[in-house]
Amino acid sequence: MVALAMVGFTSSCDVTDLQPANIIPDAEAFADANRVNAAVLGIYESAQRGFYLGAVQRGYPFGAASTQQGDMRGEDMYNDQLFYEITYINGFNPQTANNNGQWISLYRMINRANIVIENLDGAVSRGAITQAVRDQFMGEALFLRALAHHELVIYFSRPYSDNPSAPGIPYRTFAINDVSKVGPGEAVGRGTVQSVYDQLLADLNQAETLLGNGTSPFRANKGTAIALKARVFLHMKRWSDVITEYNKITSRYAVTANPLAPFRSGGTSSDNVFSFQNTQASNPGVNGALANMYGNPNLGARGLVKISPLIWRATWWHPEDTRRSVRGATDGFVSQGPLGIFTNKYTDAVTFSDPSIIIRFSEIVLAAAEANARLGNTQAAVTLLNSVRSRALPATVPAYTVADFANADALIDAIIRETRIEFLAEGRRFPNIHRLSGEGRMTGIPAKATSRSITGLNFYTTNVNIPTDHSLPYTSHLFIWPIPLEEILTNASAPIEQNPGY
Amino acid sequence: MKKVLLGFALSFLTIVSVLAQSKTITGRVTSSEEPEGVPGASVVVKGTTQGTVTDLDGSYSISVPADANVLVFSFVGYLTKEVNIGSSTTINVQLDPDVKLLSEIVVTGYGTQERRDITGSVASINNTAIENLVAPSFDSQLAGRAAGVSVTVPNGILGSRPIIRIRGVNSLSGGADPLIVIDGVPVVDSDRSGAVASNPLANINPADIESYEVLKDGSATAIYGSRAANGVILITTKRGKTGKAQVSYNTSFGVNEAVNRFDLLTGDEWVVIANEKRANVNASALANPGVNTDWQDAVLRSGNTQQHNLSISGGTESTKYFFSLGFTDQESVVKSNDLKRYAFRSNIDHSISKKLRIGKSLSYAYTEITGLNNGANSLSGAIYNATRALPNVPIYDPENTAFNGFNITANGATTGFGANLAGPDNNIPNIAYVLANNYYRGRNHRILGNAYVELDLAKGLTARTQIGIDLTLADDFTTLSPKHGDGRSSNGSVTMAFNPATRWNWQNTLNYQTILAENHNINVTAGVEYQYTNFYNFSASGTDFSDEFFRLRNLISNSYNNQFSGGGFSEQGFDSYFARFNYSFKGKYLLSFAVRNDGISQLATENRRGTFPGGSIGWRVSDESFFNSSLISDFKVRASYAEVGNVSLPGGSFPYAGGFGPVQAAAGAGIGYTNVANVALQWETSKKFNVGLDMTIGKVTVSADYFKNNVDGIVLNAPTAPSLGVPGNTISQNVGAMFNQGVELRALANVINNGKFSWNTDFNFTWIQNEVTNLVQPLTGTFNRTEVGGPIAQLYGFKWAGVNPANGNAMYYSGDNIVQLVGAATWRAFDPANPAVTTTPGTAPTQFFLGNTLPKYQGGWSNSFTYGNFDAEIFVRYSGGNYIMNESLRGLMGLGFSNNHREILSRWTESGQVTDVPRLYAGRDANTWQTSASNSRFIEKGDFVRVQNIVVGYRIPAATLNNAFNGAIRSARFFAQVQNPLIFTKYSGIDPESNQYSGQLNFGVDWNVAPIIRTWSVGLNVGF
Repeated sequence: MVALAMVGFTSSCDVTDLQPANIIPDAEAFADANRVNAAVLGIYESAQRGFYLGAVQRGYPFGAASTQQGDMRGEDMYNDQLFYEITYINGFNPQTANNNGQWISLYRMINRANIVIENLDGAVSRGAITQAVRDQFMGEALFLRALAHHELVIYFSRPYSDNPSAPGIPYRTFAINDVSKVGPGEAVGRGTVQSVYDQLLADLNQAETLLGNGTSPFRANKGTAIALKARVFLHMKRWSDVITEYNKITSRYAVTANPLAPFRSGGTSSDNVFSFQNTQASNPGVNGALANMYGNPNLGARGLVKISPLIWRATWWHPEDTRRSVRGATDGFVSQGPLGIFTNKYTDAVTFSDPSIIIRFSEIVLAAAEANARLGNTQAAVTLLNSVRSRALPATVPAYTVADFANADALIDAIIRETRIEFLAEGRRFPNIHRLSGEGRMTGIPAKATSRSITGLNFYTTNVNIPTDHSLPYTSHLFIWPIPLEEILTNASAPIEQNPGY
Repeated sequence: MKKVLLGFALSFLTIVSVLAQSKTITGRVTSSEEPEGVPGASVVVKGTTQGTVTDLDGSYSISVPADANVLVFSFVGYLTKEVNIGSSTTINVQLDPDVKLLSEIVVTGYGTQERRDITGSVASINNTAIENLVAPSFDSQLAGRAAGVSVTVPNGILGSRPIIRIRGVNSLSGGADPLIVIDGVPVVDSDRSGAVASNPLANINPADIESYEVLKDGSATAIYGSRAANGVILITTKRGKTGKAQVSYNTSFGVNEAVNRFDLLTGDEWVVIANEKRANVNASALANPGVNTDWQDAVLRSGNTQQHNLSISGGTESTKYFFSLGFTDQESVVKSNDLKRYAFRSNIDHSISKKLRIGKSLSYAYTEITGLNNGANSLSGAIYNATRALPNVPIYDPENTAFNGFNITANGATTGFGANLAGPDNNIPNIAYVLANNYYRGRNHRILGNAYVELDLAKGLTARTQIGIDLTLADDFTTLSPKHGDGRSSNGSVTMAFNPATRWNWQNTLNYQTILAENHNINVTAGVEYQYTNFYNFSASGTDFSDEFFRLRNLISNSYNNQFSGGGFSEQGFDSYFARFNYSFKGKYLLSFAVRNDGISQLATENRRGTFPGGSIGWRVSDESFFNSSLISDFKVRASYAEVGNVSLPGGSFPYAGGFGPVQAAAGAGIGYTNVANVALQWETSKKFNVGLDMTIGKVTVSADYFKNNVDGIVLNAPTAPSLGVPGNTISQNVGAMFNQGVELRALANVINNGKFSWNTDFNFTWIQNEVTNLVQPLTGTFNRTEVGGPIAQLYGFKWAGVNPANGNAMYYSGDNIVQLVGAATWRAFDPANPAVTTTPGTAPTQFFLGNTLPKYQGGWSNSFTYGNFDAEIFVRYSGGNYIMNESLRGLMGLGFSNNHREILSRWTESGQVTDVPRLYAGRDANTWQTSASNSRFIEKGDFVRVQNIVVGYRIPAATLNNAFNGAIRSARFFAQVQNPLIFTKYSGIDPESNQYSGQLNFGVDWNVAPIIRTWSVGLNVGF
């Protein structure tokens, strides 16, 4: 009796029917326009802040770390510390963190894009968003998905320019948001480099149609999709398509007269096609901030990576080029300390708000220049090259003319050198080594200044010997990164094949 | 417990009838523990019911029949003694303590039981051996005290929690810590600090604890149902006893020191090594001779400790009370790490009438821990930094006033270069400046309390209701200097947080005890229990300070440019129904059955309720008439089986719930896919089987158990292929299975007791085998891999093949072949016949299983002695059968511009030299040491025998005290003790129990943890 009374009394006490306070259930996530927009922002967030060793920090896949991967695989920036050493000395393997971090965080971003892509039409039919809003969001998600896959296919697959039928990387066009999707997801194999490029061009073409004409460099719009297409076509050696895409956006963007402008004032110049924004509140932290990793310790940064004395002392870099101007009383492209020369493109070492610049119009201009040179349109090529180069040189230095180049190859070389100067410390070096080695123009990764050997300014300002090491022939299996061991081990039904040699 | 039973004994014995007499015998009953007399002991004429009890000074007088031969003396807690009467009329007897513990009352969860009737596996640990020791929390001192209970202290940071495992590791991704229950209330067992390591059990004053009961097998734990799989530790705090108020004051003062230090290069040695590394890659020399600095001096110290505990207890028949005040202040061996605790407790029990009782327990503790950054891989991590800082530069530079006299570069980026041409790798800061200027503090107010009402409804039938609360008010404060170290990049930062946890628990139980037909002893308990726990937190921080002045004490409004805030909320609840049925027939045939049904808020509605049954049987063979052994006085066999659960699931409070969590994108607050839904998620199931025996052979009491625990439906954060992009690359699923099986032994004896000298020994041994039997895929971390067919968290990585004597190249196994590293990243085949050949292509090293990380055997051995007024205890712990990855050493063999372990001095320098340190090439760490996984070059056996404590005490004779203080002081004992004085091990690192990881899947990695602590102390126990 007493027991029963006690049970009856206490059963009114419900302590188990509790609901989470921090997760919006799947079914409610696309319920209104605000939430749909929030989910789209979630894709940007995954691109901007990334994932490293199980935590959201460090700047994968499109923060500082990824920029540094692109630079550290090449020879124009120099590694001075342990952080990026594995990449710099080609010491990666299927377990090393940096290459795995890039893979993991890119696919995380891709799945977020796919989830949005799958849910937008439902949101329209429920009346949560209009068709126009849906189209813009769909275009953004498709653009971001293509951008991520292009990054993957460059780092993990052999170049298109060599062999389009080489193994690609898994390209999933459906979301994995339920246990039942795991099996079909695992079944998606690597395909070929060709199939990856086909799908990402399909995504970009669709994005181009859907996207609006916005001008913010921080959200994808029509011009963004076109610019990325131009980059992709350059990798595919589809030269005339590069020019076609370039022509579509000449009215939208312009190379800035001041070469430093794209890196100042929040990065919203006419040259800034697409960047991932960082703010005081939203950034990948000190270890994912370009200003801290690349900046001069005298300016509060950590100085893990310097400009390589190899490019700094290159005879082809004009000494009066403003892109080697030293910061002093006035702003400059580099800053100098007793230990060496650091880039000064990124400056906010306190709140880490420098954007991660993904595409600048100058890149597309130089791509168009190269495409024209490849097609024999040398005059057009030289004009485009000058539009980038001359703005950085004093009027006393004459612009190039066609006559300055012995042949088309010499012109192409000049354009590629210009790309190295213009995009120094922007992570573009390895993608270019990748495509150029694939076509045989380069033989692989050139020799770099030996890791941790450049210990003073004299390596930049005198003729002291620069020790070199870490070159890598294109034929080496290390030229492309291994598929993460985790990827292969954890695919229970259809593990993808490892790159040969690993 | 003995004294509590005195009352029962007295009342029982007074009804013993007194028959016709013909002879009177008088005498006195004493013991080594109570030399002034054992009151209440029974004196009975053998073979009769004739007897008496001793009075308060232990004396007795009994009339015996003329034909009586033997008197039997007995008392709870002592061995029964038989004495021939002969012709004597005076018989004085000294009773020997009964160390076999068979007659003790054991707390079993929602009730108690006599030790002799227990059929499950329950270990009791008395606090008396532990309570005077110096420790930040009681849990660390349970190590080695009971079979099957493994406790390791993985580092020397005060506030970091020991790893407690009962009968092995019983979960993979979920919690593996036992349920902790204090005075019947399950307590919140989660570290609520984000600033420092703050073991929640450090809020409990060890001096308030009376005893610990560790529930190990299924039967004993089944009453805790879904939370029982990792075992249960029941803690009983001290309560008042009938009698005059007893005041006791216990104090100790001591010193903490590091058990060992890293053996690093001196400045002069390092200059040679550093330049040699660079010369070998044709790089210029950077190091120049300077001073010889051991940077460990900048982070290690000897710390002072003190403890004070004052308690008052006593009571009348109806009201009993216990009050205590405690204070401890402990300084770790690592600078900046201190723990202070102020504790108060009051426990009161009152009988309103013979049928109605009320009572309460209440404790309040304020704990303040200051800590530091000791990240294994953090640039300002104390041990990481101090072992890498360049040893040829000084710590201080008195002329550097901009940095308060510390040796720091003018730009604040790193430690000053001294005579070197470069600073340390990764620009590590001057750790002395960091420790002096960065401050981490966790403060914690903890209130633990319960109140009960108990009513006897009928003879043997008692109802009880109890409300418990556990309130944690934790706040954090972290401030980092803008000038140097971790705060430099943000120009100074201050973070404050408030992280409370609140729990209430309401239990209602009915207990019925009866004896039917004299021989059938029945004890039934049934109850309901509700528990609700709420965790929430918010934090605020500021960076980019206008002036350092403002950052030191608190967040000060308007002193910083950037402000951030954050917060979180989660809650958990249980509603539960449980029952237990204990039955014994003549104390000979024993049976126990328990069942619990839990409703669990962490699971989806469909799978929320689970039922967990368990039972055990016992047979006291020694009570059978056919059993007639003069050697074996007690012999019981028992067996148990239960299915219990673990709901300490990975994935927080709502691991089943799928959906979108908040993410802060630069363009605005967004949502991101956070968790894949799995409403089918359930608790993990443990099927626990146990057989055991308890036996007393002569003076030796032995317990032995064999157990097997099949864990099924283990919730794995089952890894998914990263390219699927699933959040965290895992989905929580009930997919794993494993078992733990093992053998436990305990033997204890009163080896010698000749009145003046006594020696008690207590030895335990545990052997455990762990094997994972089902997984979706192997679970792989940087150092460990867990795979079906092997134990959890085996070391996995590269197999070292030595150094090529011809050229000093590092060599590893690639499958069955040996390959050598040529250059920074090229692998070439090694031919032992032609070691100088480096042109034959080779494949990269491959990975192997390199050793298990869980000890296979472990135990403890306590020996306590008394000699007159002197007492001593020596306590030894041992463990072995495991392997350790000495990651600290691998880091210290680094090839960059930073300090090294002295082992590097044996590097290869000339052709033909046989060594295990390759030629040093600057910057080639990654491949030379294969840093991406474990490496057999640095894997060592973890076997050890540790002398855990040595305690020596002297009790001032009662008479002396009486003369000196005229009765004001009842007792006084001085003691001196050393904890962790020495260890016998072949492990080359600082301590074989050093461990960077305390989870299950990553384990056995000694990686830049703070050195384990050795404590010397002296103290005093006084009773008034």
